[in-house]
Amino acid sequence: MRVNLVLELLDVPGQLLDVLRPMGRLGANIVAVIHQRDVKTDEGKVPVQITIEGDEETLNRVIDVLEENGIQIMEVDGVLRREKITTILVGNIVDQDLKDTVNLLNQLPGVRVADLDLKMSDPPERSASKIVMEAREGLKQEVFKKVNEIGDLKGFLVINEI
Amino acid sequence: MRFNLVILMKIVILGFGAVGQGVTRVISLKREYLLDKYGLQLDIVAAVDRSGAALSENGLEPETLLETKAETGKLSQYPEYGVEGVSGLELLDEVEYDCLVEVTPTNIEDGEPALSHMQKAMEKGKDVVTSNKGPLALSFTKLAETAQKTGTNFKYEASVGGAMPIINLAHDTLAGSDVESVYGILNGTTNYILSRMAKEGSSYEQTLNEARELGIAETDPSQDVDGWDAACKIVILANSVLNRECALEDVKVEGISKITPEAMALAKKEGYLIKLIGEASQDVLEVSPRLVKEGSPFAVEGTLNVATLKTDLAEDVTVVGKGAGSIETASAILSDLLNIWNSG
Ligand SMILES: NC(=O)c1ccc[n+]([C@@H]2O[C@H](COP(=O)([O-])OP(=O)(O)OC[C@H]3O[C@@H](n4cnc5c(N)ncnc54)[C@H](OP(=O)(O)O)[C@@H]3O)[C@@H](O)[C@H]2O)c1
Repeated sequence: MRVNLVLELLDVPGQLLDVLRPMGRLGANIVAVIHQRDVKTDEGKVPVQITIEGDEETLNRVIDVLEENGIQIMEVDGVLRREKITTILVGNIVDQDLKDTVNLLNQLPGVRVADLDLKMSDPPERSASKIVMEAREGLKQEVFKKVNEIGDLKGFLVINEI
Repeated sequence: MRFNLVILMKIVILGFGAVGQGVTRVISLKREYLLDKYGLQLDIVAAVDRSGAALSENGLEPETLLETKAETGKLSQYPEYGVEGVSGLELLDEVEYDCLVEVTPTNIEDGEPALSHMQKAMEKGKDVVTSNKGPLALSFTKLAETAQKTGTNFKYEASVGGAMPIINLAHDTLAGSDVESVYGILNGTTNYILSRMAKEGSSYEQTLNEARELGIAETDPSQDVDGWDAACKIVILANSVLNRECALEDVKVEGISKITPEAMALAKKEGYLIKLIGEASQDVLEVSPRLVKEGSPFAVEGTLNVATLKTDLAEDVTVVGKGAGSIETASAILSDLLNIWNSG
């Protein structure tokens, strides 16, 4: 069987090789690679489309290994694999709080904090922070639950998506 | 076509503020229409405010009721048929009527006097139509049981989202589909404040003051801005649409007073707006500020209300409408009256 993957890679040399090498090693056939370096995502990454062939077990293993290696898989056979999750915190937020929060969120399997923004206010109780995460599909509610827990713990107002 | 047989429905209006007057005006405006289309004549046999009542078995004149209230502020001054000092409860014992329209102020402490008014009417076999959230948010189960026991109609479309159709939409139009959850912008005042903050970058306090000056926020806006008004509506939806027995105390409530221009700006950068959202499902009962996508049906401005019903068959159904206003809210009360009429 064949599967089409859309990955997002950092625009640095060697990235593509890091992706292709384990595919070959695991026994998948690489059928096509479409790599357009002049197309970039909002975050400056390069989308790459790869078609691989092999038995189901091999292909699943390839996907698992890519994820373990921290490669972002955006689509599998046209189906979006990642979703963006945004949340906003309001309160007396300091850098340390943000670091704690990011760590706690990054510990959730399949979740990665992709973007952060902090707007300090005067008085400091009104500071606001935006956290954008990328997560495997279907994790939204779990992520929101975690963010709510963190908010309760630290006394922040949490504004999640609906 | 003109019906030869005209049927009378005698109604009592308890509370004669924005909504009570709106109902009276609508009855007057639609008199011919109701006769033509339904063969129905709505007679107001009593109307009550804090001064007392106007009552006549043969029906009061809507225009005279409105004029009397506008000129003297007191229904007890109604020519010939005005009575001073009579209470709603007393009156419900004395008057012959078919349906109570309960539109006294919302009380979220104990639901009174509306709760007693509704109970009494139903126990006497009368139908009840209301826009009053308080008693429903506190004692929905009790009221629904009384209606069932006494075989009376108990309708409250106007209590959630004013003119925006939602309760009857879920029950009648979407009959057969199972509603799994409901969420929406259910409070116009907070939506106005948040929309202005998003547009102007102004602070919460400043925007609240502006809303007060425009008469959009009340002098004591706490029920709106602290989320309690939306929480009442979420309880009503949970009970009525999701068949979930719950009351106001079960809702997790967070208002909008902590929203800052900074938070608004951060949301905007990511393509979101902040709205006060009420949500009910079998395991969630919550009112809180949430992020909604700019350009989505939830990105409504001003005092509009929006709600989405998530159903098994029809998937998502979203409605938008005026959540308040005298005539607008009265439109929902009229539709309840007509539903009762059609079912009878
Ligand atoms: N306004 C809206 O757009 C809207 C929309 C949806 C739902 N609602 C709900 O509908 C209800 C009525 O709202 P509203 O805006 O019409 O309120 P309102 O303008 O404050 O009018 C309340 C009326 O009730 C009368 N009243 C107060 N206590 C009473 C008592 N014990 N017995 C008899 N009458 C009494 C008042 O008398 P006086 O005139 O003598 O003061 C007044 O006429 C409320 O429960 C509200 O939450 C309102």
